[in-house]
Amino acid sequence: MCDHSKNIYLPHLATITEVIDETPDIRTFRLEFQDEQVRDSFSFRSGQFAEYSAFGAGEATFCIASSPTRTGHIECCFRAVGRVTEALRRLEAGDTMGVRGPYGNSFPIESFFGKNLVFVAGGIALPPLRTLIWNCLDQREKFGEVTIVYGARTEADLVYKRELTEWQERSDVRLVKTVDPGGNSPAWDGKVGFVPTILEEAAPASANTIALVCGPPIMIKFTLPVLEKLGFADDAIYTTLENRMKCGLGKCGRCNVGNVYVCKDGPVFTAAQVKSMPQEF
Amino acid sequence: MVGPRRAGTMTLYEPLATGEELRLDELPRRSAKEAFFPVCETILSFEKTEAGVQVHDVDTARFAETVVVGVRPCDAAAAPVLDGVFSWDYHDEFYLERRRKTTVIGLACTTADDACFCSAVGLSPVETKGSDLFLLPLEGGGFGCLVMTDKGKALIDRYPQLFADVDAARPLPPAEPSAGKLDLTRIKEWLDANFEHPLWQETAERCAGCGACAFLCPACHCFDINDEGTEKKGVRRKHWDACGFAKFTDHASGHNPRDVQNKRYRNRIMHKFTYYADKFGATLCTGCGRCIRACPVGIDIKAVLDEIHKG
Repeated sequence: MCDHSKNIYLPHLATITEVIDETPDIRTFRLEFQDEQVRDSFSFRSGQFAEYSAFGAGEATFCIASSPTRTGHIECCFRAVGRVTEALRRLEAGDTMGVRGPYGNSFPIESFFGKNLVFVAGGIALPPLRTLIWNCLDQREKFGEVTIVYGARTEADLVYKRELTEWQERSDVRLVKTVDPGGNSPAWDGKVGFVPTILEEAAPASANTIALVCGPPIMIKFTLPVLEKLGFADDAIYTTLENRMKCGLGKCGRCNVGNVYVCKDGPVFTAAQVKSMPQEF
Repeated sequence: MVGPRRAGTMTLYEPLATGEELRLDELPRRSAKEAFFPVCETILSFEKTEAGVQVHDVDTARFAETVVVGVRPCDAAAAPVLDGVFSWDYHDEFYLERRRKTTVIGLACTTADDACFCSAVGLSPVETKGSDLFLLPLEGGGFGCLVMTDKGKALIDRYPQLFADVDAARPLPPAEPSAGKLDLTRIKEWLDANFEHPLWQETAERCAGCGACAFLCPACHCFDINDEGTEKKGVRRKHWDACGFAKFTDHASGHNPRDVQNKRYRNRIMHKFTYYADKFGATLCTGCGRCIRACPVGIDIKAVLDEIHKG
């Protein structure tokens, strides 16, 4: 008998119900827990992550990319870059994976009620914000203006392409999509330029607004000063950090940035918190 | 029964078959943490059949009752320190069940070498923290036994024939480590203010990243989790790791926040002398000196701390 309350390292079993190739090397899995009780009771908040098992290869850490407002399943999105993610990529619909979680802190979504939201993401860093985007759009009336600035190296590298179209077509969302210079085809109908540059052009208002930023370190490095210029205070900017993780629950000693454990004290942090950490991430 | 026994050319805390095997004349080469935190242990097993994937749990209730005898103060004192991280919100029963089922019989030290510095980090050769019973070698032979906890008392109650009350007993004088006292608060303040400092390049560029210090340390507890086997049948294991290894923080993307060795050594010192205090109110070092004795490139943690102490 598996006692999940006693063995903190035991994963739940989940069946892959849908496989979506977002880009040539990024894949989404939709997962359903096999145990009925888990299926009914599993809950999480946007920003949290899980440890996903490819049995025989090991566990990998990704955010829970679906919104908690959509029950019955969860989604994860990953790029195959190593041994475990390659093993995950070999799995097909109908196969079994392990899911351990949810772990970490979350976006304080209740404190965003009544405010405008600006989401800024790059490449494969859209999934950790996408859970929050749908979480907000599924209760749209609670928020003010919603702006999404999203870019990738090339058109092919854009994740959640169908949802980008959905967001573009909604009148209550302002989507600004971009690709890096040289990354566009002649038919491209979005912007061309790096995300921080396009964000500055889009110039969303900062009054009563929360900014949510997720991307590779280089994008964050150039995005934070733009937000500062636009008038965003450091405690009105949220990001989610990534680090090499293993246990996901604060014990294995791997993911700390200074005295902060990304898996336990994070992964969601304000820009104020990030600036006070030693710069080792 | 586990205790120090001769193993090849060294003394190690190992299972004892008889009392004659006990060797109490020198500090065991490795710490006693393996009694609670094994080098490698299975945390689940799995198999894939036509019916699907089955995952099998490990029954921690089957861990054996253990007595570890002859545990030096620097080893015994580490266990209460490690309790913090292993019970932080999520309870690691692999560690905690072993802790519950283990009785620690500590042993005072009557000798110390140049690498010992327990007295510098707030402990001593007669420190009883972490021991359920504590043995003091007596003049004329034998041991005085202090009862420190209910668990220790319970052991005496089970084996009364092994113990006798004494009116007067003269313990041998305790060892006197030559290490000077350290002000841990002052060290912590310096560390919190000097993440970037030439000290790290000056002292630790030569660190070989071999992991010996972490493996021998009573307080180091970093671990990794890996699957062994195939997708058809295998086990998942939790096993020791070390922040000194080059790939410890390596991302799959190739990005490594601690990309050079001195940054990795810096993390070791920071974790032990400030981060762990921030989280759990304790220093992650008991001054046993094993890292000093073992370091293949001669890095001396006490010398580094003295340097920091000077400011």
